[in-house]
Amino acid sequence: MIDRVKEKINELLSEGSVKGVVALVTANGHVAPCLFQKGDDLDTLCLGDTEKSGDARYPLNRVLCTIARQYPDDVFGVLVRGCDERGLYGLYRLNQLEPDKVVPIGIPCPESLAQACECKKPYPDDIVAGEKFEGISQQGVEDMDNKDLSTRFSFWMDQFSKCVKCYGCRNICPMCFCRECSLECEDLVSKGDLPVDIPVFHLTRAMHMADRCIDCGLCEEACPSDIPLRLLYKKTAEIMNTEFGFTSGINKNEKSPLSLMGPAPEK
Amino acid sequence: MAGLAAAFGSGAMTNAVSELELSDTIFIIGSNTATSHPLVATRIFRAIENGGKVIVADPRKNQIADFAELYIQHNLGTDVALLNGMMRVILDKNLQDDTFIAENTEAFQAFKDALDDFSVEEASQITGVSVADIETLATLYAEAGSASIVYCMGITQHTTGVDNVKSLANLAMLTGNIGKLGSGVNPLRGQNNVQGACDMGALPNVYTGYQPVTLGPANKKFAQAWGVDELPSNIGLTLPEMLSGIEKDEVKALWIMGENPVVSDPDANHVVKALEKVELLIVQDIFLTPTAKLADVVLPGTSFAEKDGTFANTERRVTRVRKAVDPVGDSKPDWEIIQDISNRFGFEMTYTSPQEIFDEIASLTPSYAGISYDRLEGPGLQWPCPTKEHPGTPFLHKDGKFTRGKGLFHAIGHKPPNEVVDDEYPFWMTTGRVYAHYHTGTMTRNSESLDFEVREGFLEMNPADAKTLDVCDGSQVKMASRRGEILTKIMITERVSPGLVFMPFHFEEANVNKLTNPAFDPIAKIPEFKVCAVKLEKA
Repeated sequence: MIDRVKEKINELLSEGSVKGVVALVTANGHVAPCLFQKGDDLDTLCLGDTEKSGDARYPLNRVLCTIARQYPDDVFGVLVRGCDERGLYGLYRLNQLEPDKVVPIGIPCPESLAQACECKKPYPDDIVAGEKFEGISQQGVEDMDNKDLSTRFSFWMDQFSKCVKCYGCRNICPMCFCRECSLECEDLVSKGDLPVDIPVFHLTRAMHMADRCIDCGLCEEACPSDIPLRLLYKKTAEIMNTEFGFTSGINKNEKSPLSLMGPAPEK
Repeated sequence: MAGLAAAFGSGAMTNAVSELELSDTIFIIGSNTATSHPLVATRIFRAIENGGKVIVADPRKNQIADFAELYIQHNLGTDVALLNGMMRVILDKNLQDDTFIAENTEAFQAFKDALDDFSVEEASQITGVSVADIETLATLYAEAGSASIVYCMGITQHTTGVDNVKSLANLAMLTGNIGKLGSGVNPLRGQNNVQGACDMGALPNVYTGYQPVTLGPANKKFAQAWGVDELPSNIGLTLPEMLSGIEKDEVKALWIMGENPVVSDPDANHVVKALEKVELLIVQDIFLTPTAKLADVVLPGTSFAEKDGTFANTERRVTRVRKAVDPVGDSKPDWEIIQDISNRFGFEMTYTSPQEIFDEIASLTPSYAGISYDRLEGPGLQWPCPTKEHPGTPFLHKDGKFTRGKGLFHAIGHKPPNEVVDDEYPFWMTTGRVYAHYHTGTMTRNSESLDFEVREGFLEMNPADAKTLDVCDGSQVKMASRRGEILTKIMITERVSPGLVFMPFHFEEANVNKLTNPAFDPIAKIPEFKVCAVKLEKA
């Protein structure tokens, strides 16, 4: 699979249709994001496989947004999995990236990663190489729903109590780009000191991500306190889907119901 | 560090951080882990999810105490009494590990004899912790399959710092909770590279890898490597000794690298006087700190992002740091500054890279001998790593084989803090860190996002004391000790018990170290930052 990916990137770079490609590199025994440009050695390019296939992931779209802001007229390629592609669609919708300035290089996730993520769509629409696996049902959400209210409440309060307010969930999120962040608004969340305001801090973020979260799970991976943020956001996404029939990033040109004024949409 | 070295032969964390996940019981004492070492807290939270238990002892309640099976708030400066009380319980209930003690330790009898006339009731009276709680602490620790101790400055920054650490070592040896996966004694180091700085011999009495300067063979080895006939074998000065040396005109020049004693040292007014008096003060730092402002010469060093080299972290793990950007302005990596100055003084140094220096370190330091840059790709290596083939050492003193041979028990009795409350100074005061800031804030207060979180210092006070003083949350109070006085805002909180106040020391504008006591531990020379007596009045 990786050979085909490298071939594709080489093609894009040598024909000059992109200025660079945001992908992953293996360097000094670590995996890191990297901008590959024409003439660069693609030998060190990797798909983020360390102990397991695809277990080292980064918010490459976030890196792309930073670069795109600096070079608004140039076209860049970016390595995308299913969640990253949903992210691109979301970022187009939210005017953070322009579709004609981005060339996605899609790879599907291996079954193990799809299972671990309980990913509904572990592959992008456009696949450059690799075999795709079908979506996985949201067992984690269902298991939590089956617990009674007081169990759920104490579970979440215990989880939130571990928070060390590092903002890692926000800082790694490929869909977080606001200049002014609600988490830093003192009318919502008091600043300084630990433990953080619970559950306000975490629910504020969950609400803010309701029509954005693309279920990449990087927040949960980044969380030093192992708070199951992904489960929380999966539930939020499920509510969005039940109430409005909307799933962030599934359809390329779909507007968010939260940005529409008017009567409730037909279900 | 001195305490652990005396008991075990090595002064570092005995376990890898990740092993804490596997502990059945984790005893946290004098460490605000979730705030000061969040990634260690991660492992402790995981231990809890794995069914492990956490017990916490701290005079000030912290975040992780909320997750504890038992949290106790003992009186300031009574750690030895608490630990001796726990050990009294363990011996009374016959929970000690006799086989481990017999096979792997020495001086147990003297230790046991010293405990003979100390009762749990006495411990309870000194510490303010109930007998039942001391018994629960002792049993939870002693009956665990694998128990770990986690401690930090709350243990060490006392005139009895070394005694406190030796008592923790006693506790671990008494129950055989040392030298096993997920079981040991773990001092958490603050800076990313403070372990590395100690490993490199940035201490007055040792060369790299804790080779004493007083021993002939080490001296000879280093003299040979550096091409000189002989090296001094006398022990140098500790920081408090340097300051008193300035007063006595015995120290004429001081070169401070990456330290900010005007904010970080006790009795700050006195520190400033000494630094103003010294004939030549050189400060090497990445920002113009309050200490650097007093300097005759400021040498601009580089931050982590501007240099190559290695860091050795709290779990003895040596990892690479790589330059991401060129040094800003006139700044230079510390090794280049030292080399330039050495060359001007006439001792030629011709290192061309940090790697070359590292190779020299490995050639002269047995615990680093097997480490080289090519082996540091990826996650790095934990010392001791004596040979090129050695995989590194996640936990020390395996199977009771201590670095010093046998583990050494110490007979230790409770001593009160150097300064205690009285009618004139009726409040106990302790210091520490808060969320978002590190140490004197040289780095963290220069970060916009961290400064946003906590912009100024504050004094934590129990609601009962606030009522007596007739102050409310956010009021200004004047706080004074025998050494100085400051104005500060207060925060009313039940984290501290009545009669005890807490203040973070990151903030030079309300520098709590103007008040702290410079009395220090006789062995480690660490000052008693954690206990002093103060008076308070509404400002």
